Amino acid sequence: MNMIPQTPNLTGHSVEGSFDVERIRQDFPILSRQVHGKPLVYFDSGASAQKPRAVIDAMSQVLENEYTNVHRGAHYLSQTLTDRYEGVRETIARFINAASEEEIVITRNTTEAINLVAATYGRKFLGQGDGVVVSAMEHHANIVPWQLLRDEKGVKLKVAPIDDTGVLDLDAYEALLDGNTKLVAITHCSNVLGTIVPAAEIVRLAHDRGIPVLLDGSQAVVHGTVDVQALDADFYVFTGHKLYGPTAIGVLYGKAGLLAQMPPYQGGGDMIAKVTFEKTTYREPPYRFEAGTPPIVEAIGLGAAMDYVTAIGMDNIIAYEKALLTYATERLTAMPDIRLFGTAPEKAAILSFVQQGIHPFDTAAAMDRAGVAARVGQHCAEPLMARLGVDGTVRASLAMYNTTAEIDVMIEALERARTLFG
Amino acid sequence: MIIPAEKLTQYNEYVEALDLLDEESRFEYIIDIGKRTDKATFPPECMDQAHLMHGCMSKVWIVHTQEDGGHRFRGQSDAIIVKGLVSMMTGSFSGLTSAELAKVTLDHVRGLNLGALTMQRQVGMMAMLKHMQKLSQRADLSVAADSN
Repeated sequence: MNMIPQTPNLTGHSVEGSFDVERIRQDFPILSRQVHGKPLVYFDSGASAQKPRAVIDAMSQVLENEYTNVHRGAHYLSQTLTDRYEGVRETIARFINAASEEEIVITRNTTEAINLVAATYGRKFLGQGDGVVVSAMEHHANIVPWQLLRDEKGVKLKVAPIDDTGVLDLDAYEALLDGNTKLVAITHCSNVLGTIVPAAEIVRLAHDRGIPVLLDGSQAVVHGTVDVQALDADFYVFTGHKLYGPTAIGVLYGKAGLLAQMPPYQGGGDMIAKVTFEKTTYREPPYRFEAGTPPIVEAIGLGAAMDYVTAIGMDNIIAYEKALLTYATERLTAMPDIRLFGTAPEKAAILSFVQQGIHPFDTAAAMDRAGVAARVGQHCAEPLMARLGVDGTVRASLAMYNTTAEIDVMIEALERARTLFG
Repeated sequence: MIIPAEKLTQYNEYVEALDLLDEESRFEYIIDIGKRTDKATFPPECMDQAHLMHGCMSKVWIVHTQEDGGHRFRGQSDAIIVKGLVSMMTGSFSGLTSAELAKVTLDHVRGLNLGALTMQRQVGMMAMLKHMQKLSQRADLSVAADSN
């Protein structure tokens, strides 16, 4: 049994702690499959995590026995499924410690959540010359919505720089919080570098000047405990499928006072109070922002994923992933031809690298032959690639179900890549 | 119209060679072709924006010329595997007329039996094929315009 190390050793067999990775792995059916005749080593969880049996079963159960539409049915199935669906809103609120489930807007994904804020809060409260501060390590999802707003309203995008290790330059960030800045929209954890930013400090500095803050928690919510009240975040967004849940469901947390001031995003059923051809009135948040039939089955799946993570314990996951990250970093930095990007002291188990003299595509192809699933390219962060001075990287993004032995498989694949392509 | 068999000699050689190999050996075969491409002449000045094929994870450049009534292509990439793939595509389908090139389909690409070999290989190879078809048609239009 491969129990989890407090301190990882180099053999892949370590044995202390309260986290049994082999048991965890048994919860994820896909991890027992092979790729190219080799055991699957799934290092692409930063793009989308695999799903535990609990999520798969919860979704199947709804589809087989409980499925109907929610919110407006007068019948038994609709009432019971509505209760379950709305129960997930409470689960989400608890998971990020929101003050109320009414602060939880269900979206399709992080991208939609950010677009929602840009299209409603942004259109209403931002105008010509107003600044939106982002960082140099944003995903395109937290760049392009603000550029659309820039094109429409004339707002200005201001970019807080990072240093060469991937740490956000807080002094430079603070300097951007001038009288024109009206919103900060910043990643809580970089999807490329793994850097975890000092989110509470970022919020405090902005709030000192009366500026609200949106945090993109797509990666952070997977690798750490998120308490939106402790952070004092005004908006917090994330997606379900990276958090071991299904695709097509995401979350926008917004402080009740802010959501109440925001106009609707999309129009349609479910979000209205009363409709006549002359005038339509809208429901209170969060429903005002949820037009049309919601992702019902996906919501049940996300609730099951959050219950699963909660049962394992985020503190246990954090400790285990930290050990994995330490081990992977040691092994990668011991290879003379590996250049690792992102060595911030506070970082999640995400490793971006290139192999000197070898195209990342070739490196990733050699990894693929060994059964190692990783991502290659710009990771939806083209401006960050320009900052790093590379066309792309290979990204190994780890999760709670990975092992040090799997990291060894990756290292062997990199050694073979050197033989094949070097 | 059927593409004359003698114009697909190189393609058929690739098909036969790959058919004899297991999956791992096919992977190494493509890498070998990619490495050999480096020894052939690809004009360095053509590794520019004008010859760059857009939409690839790695950079791919394709140069087009016309010889003996057919279209000739040479390919280059910054990734060795892609270099192998583009070399196979340009080698397989050089010498064809535009009309013949237009008859090359996904089935021909599948015929190379690269199966589960490399990431997004079929999509990438189809994009190369479409790019070559576009270059040949554009060249024909240019010739037609000159003769008018």
